[in-house]
Amino acid sequence: MMKRLPSTKIQGVFGLCLGLLLVSNSQGQTPDLPASPELLKIRGFGTLGLARSSSDNAEYVRDLSQPQGLTTNWSAKIDSVLGVQANLSMGEHTEAVIQALSRYRYNGSYGPEISWAFIRHDFTPDFQVRAGRLGTEFYMLADSRLIGYSNLTIRPPPDFFVPLVFSNFDGADLSIGSKFASGLLRFKLFYGRSPESTPFYGPVSWNLQGSRLHGGHLDYFSGPWQFRISHSIVRFSSEEIPLNALVAPYFSPFPAPDITTLFPELSTIGKTATFDSAGVIYDDGPLRLQAMYGRIRHESRSYQDSWSAFAIASYRFGDFRPYLGYSTVKSAQQALSSPIPPPLVAVVNQMQEIPHMDRHTITLGTRWDFQENLALKAQLDLVRGPSQAMMSFRGANMEWNGRMQVFSLSLDFAF
Amino acid sequence: MKPLRHVLLLMLLLCASLGCTAGEVVVVVSAKSTVSRLSQDEVIDIFLGRHREYPGGQAAIPIDQPKGSYTRGEFYRLLTNKTLSEINAYWARLHFSGKASPPRQAEKPADVLVHVLESTSGIGYIDQDQLDARFRVVLKLPP
Repeated sequence: MMKRLPSTKIQGVFGLCLGLLLVSNSQGQTPDLPASPELLKIRGFGTLGLARSSSDNAEYVRDLSQPQGLTTNWSAKIDSVLGVQANLSMGEHTEAVIQALSRYRYNGSYGPEISWAFIRHDFTPDFQVRAGRLGTEFYMLADSRLIGYSNLTIRPPPDFFVPLVFSNFDGADLSIGSKFASGLLRFKLFYGRSPESTPFYGPVSWNLQGSRLHGGHLDYFSGPWQFRISHSIVRFSSEEIPLNALVAPYFSPFPAPDITTLFPELSTIGKTATFDSAGVIYDDGPLRLQAMYGRIRHESRSYQDSWSAFAIASYRFGDFRPYLGYSTVKSAQQALSSPIPPPLVAVVNQMQEIPHMDRHTITLGTRWDFQENLALKAQLDLVRGPSQAMMSFRGANMEWNGRMQVFSLSLDFAF
Repeated sequence: MKPLRHVLLLMLLLCASLGCTAGEVVVVVSAKSTVSRLSQDEVIDIFLGRHREYPGGQAAIPIDQPKGSYTRGEFYRLLTNKTLSEINAYWARLHFSGKASPPRQAEKPADVLVHVLESTSGIGYIDQDQLDARFRVVLKLPP
């Protein structure tokens, strides 16, 4: 049932980068500029994370791209990552970048994936275009959410990030910056197609390949302040959401009806999901504050519209940076407008409850920069919500009471 | 001769403990450049890769002092009130999300002088003691 990324596509990306390597050798550096920086830079980053929760009745995940989550046993599964990146300078204004990543994936494997592979060209210092495989930036800092060393907390607030299963896309983006008032304004637009799949139910995954992603954001930097508003749209491709796998057990041993044919409102084909967010960061020396608000709207009734928010405050004491955060997510059920035949009422009602999210979390922790390019973090999350809001967990059972503590440790590095 | 050596040694130790090596850090361009002054925010924008352009529109190409250099730590502390760990974390985010790259890193302090003098785009930071007529100070960062 599980689908893998087609190897031809990965080979294509590799081929592109190999081509770039070859082309670059024929390009020289402009002679009248200061000594050229190194041509090829290879660097990496990673996280060794260990975490456990206080409940075996629902599994805690970093986001819904993970098929299984934490139980009461310590596990390195959800937060551990290793990435290696090569940057190849192709002249003064052009660069090729490829990044390979190993992490816990939608199909339960850790198989390496090409997370980034693109060429960037800076037409001016304030106007750049990138084309190839790029990270999604639906929210502020979202394209660096796997780089633990660059982040304060062990994982981005899951209440906010749990529905975000899109990590990258094949396409292009362009970024334009300009001085504005006392600060800097930057505008970015992107367009592309998803190369990814996401776990759906049990071993069943949902192939999102070809889904169209587009959107943009506006950043404003001024002194210690950074603001962002963003708007992103996903238009789901031709593979139908595998709801049939979900309803099959209700009809067993008989074959289940095709639920999206019976209720076209549940179909996802050609329907959109819209992600809007507004975020602010205040970063002044030892003090750092961050807050974000987000809203997701779905055309398909297979999902519920939701809103989420978080705020994190931290203060540096020497090499330690303790932090305190609060996050929340809520979704609202929308009834189907078409009448439901009586034998299906129970099934459809239950199916409509599955995507419900209602949860809040208090996060306490500290980051310790004990050596150059190495950070240790320890974190406690107190997760609370009604027991029937299961969407943000994996494998919730009838015993689940909606409350858990999550204990996490991580060693983050960059090299 | 022996007492003199002792006095010198004592002075050296005192000097090290008081941080004599920590003169004023100055941000410099070539004296041939048309840039006369930069604000603290403009220097932050150039060195943190937000906006690598001088006010007149010319490209700005920054260079960092060598890894482990005292001047480097002081520069970022005085300019941004950030530790080098925080600066590294900042660059890890931009580098691994395919955005701006950190300034080129000098292998030895003299490389900074060469870089700044080589082109009117170059910009670096040095200890005030290293100043001479070939450079123009565009920002002073008093300790």
